[in-house]
Amino acid sequence: MIKSYKLRRNIANAIIYVLLAILGILWVSPFVYLLMHSFRLESMTTVPYLIPHEWGFDNYVALFTGSGSSAINFPRWFLNTLVVAIFSCIISTISVLAVAYTFSRLRFGARKKLMNVAMILGMFPGFMTMIAIYYLLKAMGLNQNLVALVICYSSGAGMGFQISKGFFDTIPRALDEAATIDGATKNQIFWRIILPMSKPIVVYTVLTSFIGPWCDFILAKIIMGDARDLYTVAIGLQSMVSAEFINQYYKQFLAGSVLVAVPITTLFLIMQRYYVEGVTAGGVKG
Amino acid sequence: MKKILAILLAGMMTATAFAGCGGGASSSSQGGSSSQGSGESSAASSDGGGATDEMTVDANTVDPSLFGDENNITLKVWAPDKAVSLVKEQVEAFKKAYPDKTFTKIEVVAQGEGDAGTQLLNDASVAADVFSFASDQLNKLVDAKVISEVAFTKTVTDMNSPETITAGTLDGKLYAYPETNDNGYYLVYDKTVIPEDKVGKLEDVLAACKAAGKKFIFDCGDGFYSCTFAFTAGVKIDGLEEDGVTQKFAQYDEAEAVKTLQAFSKLIKEYKGTFTSLNVAQIASGFSTGTLGAGVDGSWNTTADQDALKDKFGAAKLPTITVDGTEKQLVSLFGYKYIGVNASSKFPASAQILAYYLAGETCQQQRAEKLGWGPSNKAVQEMPVVKDSPVLQAIAQQAQNACAQVNIAPTFWTPMGNLGNKLIAEETNPDDTAYFTKLLKDTIANVRDEA
Repeated sequence: MIKSYKLRRNIANAIIYVLLAILGILWVSPFVYLLMHSFRLESMTTVPYLIPHEWGFDNYVALFTGSGSSAINFPRWFLNTLVVAIFSCIISTISVLAVAYTFSRLRFGARKKLMNVAMILGMFPGFMTMIAIYYLLKAMGLNQNLVALVICYSSGAGMGFQISKGFFDTIPRALDEAATIDGATKNQIFWRIILPMSKPIVVYTVLTSFIGPWCDFILAKIIMGDARDLYTVAIGLQSMVSAEFINQYYKQFLAGSVLVAVPITTLFLIMQRYYVEGVTAGGVKG
Repeated sequence: MKKILAILLAGMMTATAFAGCGGGASSSSQGGSSSQGSGESSAASSDGGGATDEMTVDANTVDPSLFGDENNITLKVWAPDKAVSLVKEQVEAFKKAYPDKTFTKIEVVAQGEGDAGTQLLNDASVAADVFSFASDQLNKLVDAKVISEVAFTKTVTDMNSPETITAGTLDGKLYAYPETNDNGYYLVYDKTVIPEDKVGKLEDVLAACKAAGKKFIFDCGDGFYSCTFAFTAGVKIDGLEEDGVTQKFAQYDEAEAVKTLQAFSKLIKEYKGTFTSLNVAQIASGFSTGTLGAGVDGSWNTTADQDALKDKFGAAKLPTITVDGTEKQLVSLFGYKYIGVNASSKFPASAQILAYYLAGETCQQQRAEKLGWGPSNKAVQEMPVVKDSPVLQAIAQQAQNACAQVNIAPTFWTPMGNLGNKLIAEETNPDDTAYFTKLLKDTIANVRDEA
């Protein structure tokens, strides 16, 4: 038994830090590998060693100059995804927050029931209704169309209100009451009082709904079919490593995967400071 | 109150479930009815020409009257990306071949052959009218009634090699126009590592690779390649059972089969470090970095391998393996590519005529010359472009020693991959006959889903 408290603490800390370091390395190594190999010049597909021998920007350049076939058009895919992500992000953020506010602040007859229904519907995996969605969109003439993707990604978003509602519930109702006394409507309270105090949850909602379109594969694939010009990056990148293209496009695929992280990371960096800024304490006196 | 809510929700769930079914059912019935419609019209067009004379003019074109009353024709063609520009040229030539017809638009869209079947099954009405696909998808396309029969069966049968016709025929009906006779794998090697007279035997190939300090790649974990072990051992597939899902195997000699598997395992053990089981995507890569001596690669990767090896590129049929003093040819899985006609095409007759043209002699010759695709057309097979190509010759020779990739049960791939993995596994003892007997029996039972 080690007597000295200081020694014991140091040993414990050492063990914890070594463990954390190992976990950290494990977690970050795929990204480091991806980043390094996106700059690799030699070989066509994978190589048996970790550090590339020749480095350069050729893969990134090739990705954007589109040297090669008409079927691989990464800039177009990137733009498609960005547009879809921006629109579905705006629509779903507003709808999620509005639904959450409604359930948190307003009291109406079917409130509990609607919340339960949303909860149960949310338990089914999204792709369960994929085929039905496809035929509905087709009936509306929206298949092979980017608008269809925006609709798919944003229309069901309101059901993911739970986390935001939980946040709104922590904001004292006294604020609402005070605003009501001052003559504010429910709508004004939402936009002027609640939203400015809920920056962390707004940021969270924006980020999650922005990331969605970049990651979704299965729905986009069904909707787009053979319209390669309308592909999003997820389907596009997958098609680059299909048997037909892998030998020519594997390294560009690595570069493309790195680039997908750019808009998401940028958005996060811009919004990051609001994560800590959202403080509700001190909003009410007495 | 709670009970009422529960019943309500349960009702809603069932309703949604039925709604999903309803959508699917109505769409499939749509597909069914339209396929009947086009079936009638194609039958009508071939009837018009008489049973013996199908009114085909030559190996590329047909009598223009077969278009019927179709005019202002709009068609969509699916071709793999590498072929798109060539197919576009061929479509232009097709338009010129029928000067009296007006073609509003014939669109050529890139769509890999491996995925064409799935895309077609997703929604046939937005899919291409004329599409290229690999032979293993034929079953499900026919089952789903999304592919229409070939309108010029007799002429097509006469023109193409018999194995491609057999593989394209189900229940006595030819469902697709043979496009290539090359969808398989063969031995690619670095000529500076393995002398040309040594590629006949697997033992020599491995020895040469080992001597040069280079690797040999064969993907043992993928059933598509590792079924070679079973086939070489005499355990060959023979279509499906009556139920349409269970794989049937031809009669085989178990003792002999086990012995062959043991020989494989022994050889692999002997050349441990040289023989590596990796994905075929590593082969071109390995050649370009100079770490690879030889590999078993698919015909679709030929261009990449040639680019990597330049003038050192060598191609041969798969080698033999010596089992108890006798040399056994490695038997591979071999497929074909076809051009199919969508059963829900709005211009069924035109689609048939375009498919006939694209699968015709001229187009096959152009693809052999420009893309290096092995033709199914008998006349093109005799042309110098094929005769003088070592790759196409290697593939053609391997095709003689292969099981056709048709009528393969979905349960086939994983157990075969498992067999391959077991052969190369560290703990496997090549001399343990009982183990290999059990492994073979288990593999077959798993493929047949009887385990």
